[in-house]
Amino acid sequence: MSQPEKNYQVNLLRPKQGHMRDEVLIILAILFGWGVCTFGFQLLVYLCRGTGAGSLLTRLTLFNLPLHFWFTGQFLPLWFIVLCVVFNLYVDRITEYHSRKRDKSYE
Amino acid sequence: MNDSSWSIFVVLLVLASFIVVGLRQKSRESQEYGFGGRYTGRIGGGAAIASNWMSAASLMGLAGIIYLQGYQGLAYVIGWTGGYVLLLVLLASQIRRFGKFTAPEFVGERYGSQAARAIAAAISIAISIIYCVAQFKGIGLIFSFMFGIDYQQGVTYGALAVVSYLVISGMLGVPRNQQLQYLVISVSFIVPLMWLARKLGYFWLLPQFGYGRALTDLSRQFNIDFTLPFANGSLYQWCALCFTLMVGTAGLPHVLSRFYTVPNVRDARWSVVWGLFFIALIYWSAPAFSVFGRLLEARSGLIPDPAAARDAADVIALKTAVWAGLPGWLVGVLAAGALSAAFFTVAGLLMTGAASISHDIYYSMVNRSASESARMQVAKGGTLVLAAIVLLLALDPPGLIAEITAVAFALAGNTIFPLFLLGIWWGRANRYGAIAGMLTGIVCTAIAPLCGGIFPQLALLFPVTSSALLGAPLVIAVMIAVSLATPAPSEEMGRFLEKEVHGHLD
Repeated sequence: MSQPEKNYQVNLLRPKQGHMRDEVLIILAILFGWGVCTFGFQLLVYLCRGTGAGSLLTRLTLFNLPLHFWFTGQFLPLWFIVLCVVFNLYVDRITEYHSRKRDKSYE
Repeated sequence: MNDSSWSIFVVLLVLASFIVVGLRQKSRESQEYGFGGRYTGRIGGGAAIASNWMSAASLMGLAGIIYLQGYQGLAYVIGWTGGYVLLLVLLASQIRRFGKFTAPEFVGERYGSQAARAIAAAISIAISIIYCVAQFKGIGLIFSFMFGIDYQQGVTYGALAVVSYLVISGMLGVPRNQQLQYLVISVSFIVPLMWLARKLGYFWLLPQFGYGRALTDLSRQFNIDFTLPFANGSLYQWCALCFTLMVGTAGLPHVLSRFYTVPNVRDARWSVVWGLFFIALIYWSAPAFSVFGRLLEARSGLIPDPAAARDAADVIALKTAVWAGLPGWLVGVLAAGALSAAFFTVAGLLMTGAASISHDIYYSMVNRSASESARMQVAKGGTLVLAAIVLLLALDPPGLIAEITAVAFALAGNTIFPLFLLGIWWGRANRYGAIAGMLTGIVCTAIAPLCGGIFPQLALLFPVTSSALLGAPLVIAVMIAVSLATPAPSEEMGRFLEKEVHGHLD
């Protein structure tokens, strides 16, 4: 509010100082967790096929399900819920922090 | 009464109950609650998101595709849940602060262009039509299953039933009670599954986790391995499909519009979490139907050839219930759940599509002086025209329910998602970029069916159900390049984005 920022262009990769920077950091962190567990795991299963680690991934069972099937079919949806909860808790926190900083009531 | 008439009776009962509850709610709402009566908190908002989302693709298509493709089908489960993460972190609160909820309105406002708005409206209508074809296939299959008629007849009667339902609830002004709908849909999906698990002797209290032993039995006794990774498609196909469904989820117009009913940004965010949880409950269950179906099939010694399996796939949940000898009324409950999911999805999509025809195309482009009643007429006519187009396409559906639905997701992921993403997160994106991006997205989606014969290599890279893994980044690149080569958007929009959408706490 204090110093007028001239010519700021909204850009996900170059966020403004303050609330937006905090928000973008958590967004990138969540997207990292989302991408690695979804696509990274599939790549792992693919690369390990035919090796000892691969048969560990597909033979080891959890709830009577092979590990990779359990991870993809049951754990990943749960993981997405966890990511959303973490995101919301964090955004609630930074929103409250910046609202207080700005001395204004919450939203 | 015999079994099938019990099923029909239960289905009719459920549909009628929605009208009755809607009518009661309507009279109560106008007396007691006023306009505020629709909001019921984060959990209620989540149930509304979930019931808006549940369609024939979730309740029939998912079980069908996993029955057919095993591990490969899990890409649908992941795609349709993981998309909500993208939606929540990248778009949900920003769209809300932007204040425009339908895709054409957002595009028209953000990019300041009537042409962009018209293209976005045409794309949303195309998405509605494709999505509805899949729903109609589901409705047709349930009708032909219940009444013992052939598919073409079933889908025709189904279309008549949907349109009359729309007309009746439109005339009575019945509100959609989405929380009740979610309850009915999920109970009618999970209770038969528990019954099934119990009957087959597996852990039935949580059949979502109890089907593991059935999977083991299947591979030990009958040598059918459901879980072999990448047996029915390559790693690229799996990831492309999964990614496409994810960006499609975050770009689907009727999903984006869901942030209306919740009063503030914080509640909107938390209701996405509840919505995702409610959706996941169904998606943890669907594979169980497929596994039980395969098991019962194997036990009866009938292993169908691939063509027959493909025909059976979309009704595998119902067939499994019948093979296991579930009582007729319970099969009816299952059918009623799937049917009401398909019904309400179709109703919502047809009405949204018709509103887009009347508002974004007729009113904004053709006749700016059209009266309220003339626009209403166009909207009503539009509903019928859309329903007729969908029926014609659904008479000979080109794929499984989940596959047809995936095409709608591919189109949304290739066009609407990049437009919203850059529109919110990159101030420099302008109307020329938006139009070029949408056209590129349409080409990416249509490239496999149109040019797949001539350039098979292209069809491999842009499969019709999963073109967005390459398509969405390509569209984003085109949008950035064209935007940078043309004049910047208005100063006013830049300030609005900076101050209102992103700068609310500076």
